[in-house]
Amino acid sequence: MTKNKEFKNTLLGLAFLSPNILGFSIFTIFPLGFSLVMAFSNWDLSQHNIFHSNPIHWVFFDNFSALLSSNEFWKFFKNTLFFMLGIPVSIAGSLMAAILLNQDLKAPSKKIRNQLILGSLLILGIIVTIMTGLKASVISIFLSSIFTLILMGGLLGGSTLYRTLFYTPHFTAGVATFILWKKLYNPQSGPLTNFLQPVLDHVSIFIEFVGSENIGFLKYAAATLCFLSLSYGLKTILKMRKELELGNGSFAIAYFLSALPSYFIVKWSPDNPVSAVLQIILIGTLFYYFASFFKVSKPKTPIDDGIGKAIWIGFISMTAQFILIGLCNLFQNIPAIMQSPLSTPNWLTDYNWAKPSLMFMGFWASIGSNQMLLYLAALSNLSPELQEAAEIDGASKFQKFWNVTWPQLAPVTFFISIMAVIQGMQGGFEVAKTMTGGGPAGATTTLEYYIYDEGFASGRLAYASAISWVLFAMIFLLTLFNWRFGNRFIDE
Amino acid sequence: MKRSKSQFVLNNLVLTLISLLLCLPFIWMILTSLKPLEDVGKAEWWPKIFLWSNYKTIFTTEHIHYGRWYFNSLFIAFCVTFLQVITSSLAAFGFSRIKWKWRDRIFLLYLATMMVPALILMIPNFQIMIEMGLIDSYLGLIIPASFSAFGTFLIRQFMMSIPKSFDEAAEIDGANSWQVFWQIILPLSRPGLITLTIFTFMGNYNSFFWPIVMLKSEHKYTLPIGLLFFESSQGQQTNLLMAAITMSVIPMILVFVCLQKHLVKGIQLGGVKG
Repeated sequence: MTKNKEFKNTLLGLAFLSPNILGFSIFTIFPLGFSLVMAFSNWDLSQHNIFHSNPIHWVFFDNFSALLSSNEFWKFFKNTLFFMLGIPVSIAGSLMAAILLNQDLKAPSKKIRNQLILGSLLILGIIVTIMTGLKASVISIFLSSIFTLILMGGLLGGSTLYRTLFYTPHFTAGVATFILWKKLYNPQSGPLTNFLQPVLDHVSIFIEFVGSENIGFLKYAAATLCFLSLSYGLKTILKMRKELELGNGSFAIAYFLSALPSYFIVKWSPDNPVSAVLQIILIGTLFYYFASFFKVSKPKTPIDDGIGKAIWIGFISMTAQFILIGLCNLFQNIPAIMQSPLSTPNWLTDYNWAKPSLMFMGFWASIGSNQMLLYLAALSNLSPELQEAAEIDGASKFQKFWNVTWPQLAPVTFFISIMAVIQGMQGGFEVAKTMTGGGPAGATTTLEYYIYDEGFASGRLAYASAISWVLFAMIFLLTLFNWRFGNRFIDE
Repeated sequence: MKRSKSQFVLNNLVLTLISLLLCLPFIWMILTSLKPLEDVGKAEWWPKIFLWSNYKTIFTTEHIHYGRWYFNSLFIAFCVTFLQVITSSLAAFGFSRIKWKWRDRIFLLYLATMMVPALILMIPNFQIMIEMGLIDSYLGLIIPASFSAFGTFLIRQFMMSIPKSFDEAAEIDGANSWQVFWQIILPLSRPGLITLTIFTFMGNYNSFFWPIVMLKSEHKYTLPIGLLFFESSQGQQTNLLMAAITMSVIPMILVFVCLQKHLVKGIQLGGVKG
């Protein structure tokens, strides 16, 4: 290639790039530098604009030190992390949806398909007749008709209809569906309250029948189960470490996750004597397994072997313990609670319920999300030979999933988790702004909301920039982690 | 055979049940949008009378410029999509089909900026918009969104997969670079263009953060901001609110149902973003 041609090509390339690179420089590269300037100065919207051009002062790291020593920042950071606890649940939901959708949904033969369609129509007819006879409400007849329609669509069209319906909540997620959920959560007249209140009434009657003191004894059962789930989880990971399925790092992660509940337990219920005893038992168990970890012979394995499985076991053990500790407290408090009849909480305006309410909606919106589509693509690329081999060996369905399918999905799971964590770190504003306004008492304010409040609502652009750079630093670390370990999964 | 038949029926039943549960909020939304106001809080979902006029009323309610918001959202999303697809495909051509000195380094810079959280850039961009006098204007929403590193990256990936021989054959026939781009490469990267079009259009139709920062006057609101305003100012009129929400969700569902083949492929090929 001659020099002349090279020069011509460079001009040509730049010419094609010019519109994009112009916008890219103005709205990406320049702001990136500008934002650093802001973060290290006292830039304020009311002081620095076309009307007031006061000189800026360099404050260097003052914004950052003010930020890191403010209680608000750490509170909102914890909120953000708390919301991210929903990620494993949503990933598990997406995986289950993908596995269900990936099954062979084509009818064994045309004849059987037609029989089934006729059969379901017939059953619908019978149900509608009976319901009309029993004077059932119109809505239940309507819902059973919709059920039959979906079923018929599925029988005729395979997985496409189901996939569309699964994906709709994610695809339409935005202010519109958030407002819809705000109405669903309405504590006076929302459908959720209307549905749950009769159920709770029956529960109240039942508890009164049994006697609230007797129900209170269940707290011992919950505490015992909590101890069992911790020790079983620890036993499993120790065994896996011995059998070289886990590396030391993975073991530590699973151990750390299982140990978390013991830290929170008394904080949650200072006045519950059972949980104080339970905490001692749990910590004792932790020490016992910590000691036995050093006693067993540990052949060398790569530090992050089986990290995916370790995280899952740790997470399941942790969730089980949290739920059981919650139940233990609930049973302890039942006599106090039963002073007045049970009623549904004020979902979005109750400090303790606001976060779980938003997370439940998030779960609804994320079962059929991009995660599900990625899992579907990965599942359809699995090698059938391995599945067949496992079947010949007589593996059960769960064994097949845990030992064959799950390891093959590891790269996708890793990618999805990292993406979800990166998005989770910088998310939560839209939901909170629409549904709770960040409240009650800042319970649903995430870092993104904090940046909006400080920067755009109060005009403290310098401080907001500092927060966003701290956020960027955390995301950058995650990305590095992704590069470092993501490739390992792909190589395997 | 018998076992696989019952398995098949069970699978379909489970999937149908989950689909129905996931759709329940939408069913409630549509039924409530048809109720008269006094029936809204009742436990019965089915409306006693079907008040289709709710859908007319939202267009004539005071302070609710629903038609205008609808237009704003569609107009802005259309403009952004149009400009972004043009700038991205031009740049992608420069990055994939022409060999020049600094190409790969500049592309790496593009890639690196995709990692930067949008929040960091929004703060200075807000200041820039103030200086340019574009606050509370359509241009302020359209221009910054029209240049996207992600779009460029996506189209480039599609263009890279087109064999080099196409360009060479065209060049021998005497075509210049523009003709190669316009008549050969662009038509061949159609799947990528469609994917980017859907992503960008839906993303901007639904976008929330930047519009809520930029827009001040009620008649310039886009649908998400308008709906939020509706909810906070006249939120007790749940039936009208649900009618407004239904109308704003329906275009999205239609787009997905019609174009899902391209969308699903695009997500699975290009990884995910947002």
